[in-house]
Amino acid sequence: MTPIITIRGLSKNYGDKTVLNNIDLEVMPGQIIGYIGPNGAGKSTTVKILSGIIQDYEGEITVMGKNIKEHVLEVKSKVGYIPELAELYDLLTPREYLTFIGKLYKLSDEVIEDRSLKMLTSFGLYNNMDQRMDSFSKGMRQKVLITSGLLHNPTIVFMDEPLSGLDANAVILVKELLQALKQEGKTIFYCSHMMDVVEKVSDRIILIDKGSIIADGTMEELRQNNSDNLEQIFSRLTSNGDFVQKADDLAAAMNDRTSPGQYKSINE
Amino acid sequence: MLPSGLWRSLGADTDQLTAILNMRLMLDNRRPMGFGRRQAQKKDIKNGTLINTFMFGIMGVLYGIPVYLISDRVLSMVIYFTLIFLMITLTLITDFSNALFDNRDKYTLFPRPINDRTLVLAKLLHVFIYLLRIVLPMALPAWIAIGYLDGWASAVLFPLPVLLLVFMSLFAVNSVYLIILRLVKPEKFKDVISYFQVIASIVFFATVYLHPRKMFEMDPSNMFDASHFQWVKYIPTYWLAACWSWIGVPLTFGGGIFMSLLAIVAPLLCVIILVKYLAPEFSRKISGIDSAEVSHEITVIKNGKAAKPGKLYLKLANIFNRSDAAKAGFILAWLQTSRSRTFRMRVYPALAFVPIYFIYLLTQNGSSISEAYATLPGSSKFILLLYMSAYVLINALNYLIMSEQYKAAWVFYSSPVETPGNIMIGAFKALCVKLFLPFFTAISIFTLWIWGPKVIPDIFLSLVNVLLLATCIARISFRQLPFSSMEQIKQSGGKVIRSIITMLIPFVLGVGHYLSVHIWWLKLTFIFLSGALLWLIWDSYAGTNWGNIRKEDA
Repeated sequence: MTPIITIRGLSKNYGDKTVLNNIDLEVMPGQIIGYIGPNGAGKSTTVKILSGIIQDYEGEITVMGKNIKEHVLEVKSKVGYIPELAELYDLLTPREYLTFIGKLYKLSDEVIEDRSLKMLTSFGLYNNMDQRMDSFSKGMRQKVLITSGLLHNPTIVFMDEPLSGLDANAVILVKELLQALKQEGKTIFYCSHMMDVVEKVSDRIILIDKGSIIADGTMEELRQNNSDNLEQIFSRLTSNGDFVQKADDLAAAMNDRTSPGQYKSINE
Repeated sequence: MLPSGLWRSLGADTDQLTAILNMRLMLDNRRPMGFGRRQAQKKDIKNGTLINTFMFGIMGVLYGIPVYLISDRVLSMVIYFTLIFLMITLTLITDFSNALFDNRDKYTLFPRPINDRTLVLAKLLHVFIYLLRIVLPMALPAWIAIGYLDGWASAVLFPLPVLLLVFMSLFAVNSVYLIILRLVKPEKFKDVISYFQVIASIVFFATVYLHPRKMFEMDPSNMFDASHFQWVKYIPTYWLAACWSWIGVPLTFGGGIFMSLLAIVAPLLCVIILVKYLAPEFSRKISGIDSAEVSHEITVIKNGKAAKPGKLYLKLANIFNRSDAAKAGFILAWLQTSRSRTFRMRVYPALAFVPIYFIYLLTQNGSSISEAYATLPGSSKFILLLYMSAYVLINALNYLIMSEQYKAAWVFYSSPVETPGNIMIGAFKALCVKLFLPFFTAISIFTLWIWGPKVIPDIFLSLVNVLLLATCIARISFRQLPFSSMEQIKQSGGKVIRSIITMLIPFVLGVGHYLSVHIWWLKLTFIFLSGALLWLIWDSYAGTNWGNIRKEDA
């Protein structure tokens, strides 16, 4: 099978800071990829590069057989990008915002209207379709963002913390949505800090830290014959694990005490 | 520095009060207030207070004109105090609302153990200090002038009525807010305030341009009989001016010592009513605004079904644009320009500035409005009026690229848009259809009414030229996606050259039109030439590619 995404030697620097360091990756179609890593690891940058938003990088990337630098518009029209709690023009109503987005993807008025209505209704926003979004909660905005990323029926969906602000029911709905999209053969690139969700929904998990891939495989492969869950694997690979000590330090600081071993990390 | 005992007796926690006030004043210092905001650039924000102090000082020189020119001290002080009162009250209503409804209070202060009185007092003291920061530099020029003209007694007296004036203004502002809150739903409050801001800036503009001459004419020696103006006695600013009776100045409109007592009693009464009744009610109402989100949602759910959407924007977008990207730009600009308070506040007053400035220019030679109006048909001043309409369009274009939500422009970069110029041209068209063409039509009707049908070719030529001018400026200075740029971002290099070109274009166009005013075939030639040039530049603007976009942030 031909990979739907191929990344060769991807590097990205912001000034002196290296955000992505020589990443190689192949993604097969129809997979859900869980892309995880600590804050600042380079997850969002990867997703922005793969969505065609950042075009200033080193390395070669093909999406659906097209070099992204040479065919950025074709790639953008086939991928959906759902950022985490991104800003939207919230003086508009969801219906108006989706009409605007639909036009950017060259959808007809009828298709926009029909899809917006159905998708927002599924998200429980039917009654809010013509209400300005400046009064919306975080979760409601995120639902509109998800809808806007899927409105043009993309083949690949890049999701960056799509569950931010969503309530428990909406989280279940999005998890089911991921499975439904997978059934339709769509590839999903899913960034999140919610390890339990990533563990449950992903066919393959990629762990990135300091701009490099440090683990890549199915959940079973990552376990390496241990009974660890993803949270424990994540912690083992990306931190020195002294959480108990740090928690003690925090509690001690509140009570004007010094806990044994406090300031160890500073001194180190 | 605060009289702690007083605040404690009013039920406030002085430590918390000091902490809140310090934080608020620090924020004020980092956020340019009032009139400084539009011009302020990023680097200036650090010195916000200094710059504003200087600007208010300059304004104070202008507002002090009656003090320097009118010899009757009481009359001059009535006019002066009235001007300052109107000025600070309107500033407060329009500008302070930003600080007042800072949503961050919801997260930073409301969850903390702070009692209501501390919150109310913190708010009031903040407003008071804010007002003093405006009034002190503004009053300084008049204070110096009074000391110089009248001697030390008058100068010593001066600060007292100014302080009393601040109390009166505080009371007036709170009353206006409460009246608005009574009349409109909390969620509409901010909208009403933004319209108030529009009206206020028009009033300021009209005052600055049309008022000074009237003030100079008010010299009592040649103008009026004070007995015809007895109603002045009921104006609170007259009570303040009556304080001059204490140092032996005769009261122009009578009323004696009683009037000056009112100057003391009325503001004190105002403060008591303010602290005891208005402020707590105001706080309650403000918290109503914070929870407007909830009440709004409930209303919609109760209705059970969504309101019928207006689709005019969609129909117009389809009529005026061919490409989908242009339609998207048109839709966004059409909707945002109606709803963005900032855009309304900055752009809508321009619609009034044009006629006001036209009247100002007409009456500059000292003639009255009716005299100037009578001489219009024989003049060629319609050219001036028609070209002044360009201000509306260019000003709107300037704010079309700016938004507080400029980060929402990320969607342009993630969508498959080949030529961003199409989005820009769509937005440009939305501005023309919605704002400029109706305004230009109104001006054209007035022009036809005064000068008759012979000016029809001039109307067409000026329309083409104004559009050409606006497109040139958009092409040179505003080559950015709509609502994608942070306000007051520092302009990149080449600003001077761009400014020179921007100023040269209207000059060339205007002179060309003026020279051809009586030569019909030259006018026709100009229409075709300008039309062709417009087409070329329009095309170039619409062809803006991603490399041409001046990206501020995304």
